[in-house]
Amino acid sequence: MTPMHDAATILSCRDLVAGHGRNAVLRDVSLQVRAGEFWFLLGTNATGKSTLLLTLLGVLDPLGGVAQYGPGVSADVLGYVPQCCELVLHLPTTPHELVALGLVGQRLTRAQREERVEAALEQVGLHGQLHQSYGSLSGGQRQRVIVARALARRPLLLCVDEPMNHLDLVTERALLELFARRNREDGLAIVYVSHDVAVAAALATHVALLHHGQVEAGPADRLLDAARLERAYGVPPLAASGRTP
Amino acid sequence: MIDAFIDSWPLFREIWLAAWLVALLLSLVGVFVVVRDQIFVGAAIAQASTLGISLGLCLGSEWSAEGSFFRSDAFLSMVAVGFAVIAALVTARGSGGGSTGRPADSREAITGFVFLLGGSGSLLIIAHSPHGLDDVQRLLASSGIGATSGDVAVLTVLCAATLLFVFARRRALLLFAIDSTTACVLGVRRSTDALAAAWLGLVLGVAMRTSGMLYSFGCLVLPALVAKNLCRASLPMFFAAPLIAVITSMAAAVIGNACDFNQAQLSVALLCGLLAAAWGLRAARGS
Repeated sequence: MTPMHDAATILSCRDLVAGHGRNAVLRDVSLQVRAGEFWFLLGTNATGKSTLLLTLLGVLDPLGGVAQYGPGVSADVLGYVPQCCELVLHLPTTPHELVALGLVGQRLTRAQREERVEAALEQVGLHGQLHQSYGSLSGGQRQRVIVARALARRPLLLCVDEPMNHLDLVTERALLELFARRNREDGLAIVYVSHDVAVAAALATHVALLHHGQVEAGPADRLLDAARLERAYGVPPLAASGRTP
Repeated sequence: MIDAFIDSWPLFREIWLAAWLVALLLSLVGVFVVVRDQIFVGAAIAQASTLGISLGLCLGSEWSAEGSFFRSDAFLSMVAVGFAVIAALVTARGSGGGSTGRPADSREAITGFVFLLGGSGSLLIIAHSPHGLDDVQRLLASSGIGATSGDVAVLTVLCAATLLFVFARRRALLLFAIDSTTACVLGVRRSTDALAAAWLGLVLGVAMRTSGMLYSFGCLVLPALVAKNLCRASLPMFFAAPLIAVITSMAAAVIGNACDFNQAQLSVALLCGLLAAAWGLRAARGS
């Protein structure tokens, strides 16, 4: 029997069946996420990208197969950015408080917590708005707070679920550059849920293409070709190579 | 006014202590409810608890002999708590989901169903029992607080357990209330939702038996709403809401005793006044 992971594996699954209740959405998913890799989960709407991610992370129970963290990896070294940034607009809260809440489960002193929160908000360009009302921030700023909440954990693996919905181009570009820099310079592994092939072509080291309940997973330069993308998306890619800029 | 209160202390001690403990207990739990924006859930659970009490009264008067367990306060408390816990779990889970795993209706719809079933059922079941009907109507209006030293002991234990848990796990609880998916990814147990619902049902059921619906529901949501409008962050609500609830309840006991008002109803009226003032303050600060 082949081992499911090597020393650098952070997250892996084998023959995974993912879905809701008793309804399987994806079958026979096998992949390994290692340190320094930038994974994109690609597919059209409702193909099960978020379902796969939440099953990999243990929020949804697998309907079959196995999903597990690598050796020495636990929820303590995960960062997670959900789709929606309009979480708490009716509540009194601040970027400082929301980012500090992201440190739940980590044993830190008050000083360490403060340092983490300030450093994370500085990374996303919101250091000046530590104690501003969260509800008064723009949509882009709110999403940057949620990214800071994930980065404050100093994760080995960052999971990002379609974070660019409803964001303007400037914010989108700034966040993508931040993710790419952390991946390149710090070896941060990233699993990024998206339907944007162009962004994947620019950043991905690995992709998982989701279509019709099946997943093809592997290195980006092998899988991002025109035929596979046409099969996954149902339309031919704009660039002949499939690797659009 | 204070002298009159001190003079009345030996007579009403259990009633006032129980009322303050209910205020402390429910206001702490209420922060979780208000942060999740599920205020109406509290009313629905309290109504379901009333349905349990109605059934208990009916069972006691129709089918059991004088002096049997089914006519005891303990039995009524058990059915009140039982129905409240079941209602809390039902509203937390929505309508289940069946084979698709997705709820057939929204949590709000299920909450409305529980509220209306509890409200109509509790009155219909004992409609032909004038004594029982009177009991339930008093319960709904919180018009007669009849706490015993046993109630005070139970409420003290529940308060201590809730205080310990909330202050040890307040960050995890708040993150779960705000963003449960992220909380689960970061290691907070998925069962938190069911456990919180069961605890809410337990404390509301116990509070309903001692204080009635108006006071229980008021103490659950009003202090947390006042705190939400006064605080600039969410974590301090766990400190502010109990403080507001207990001080208001104490003030209501003193004023109510001097002016011959019902303490429970006066507490809720004072909390409503505080909430209106907090809204005004927030509007004035422009936030």
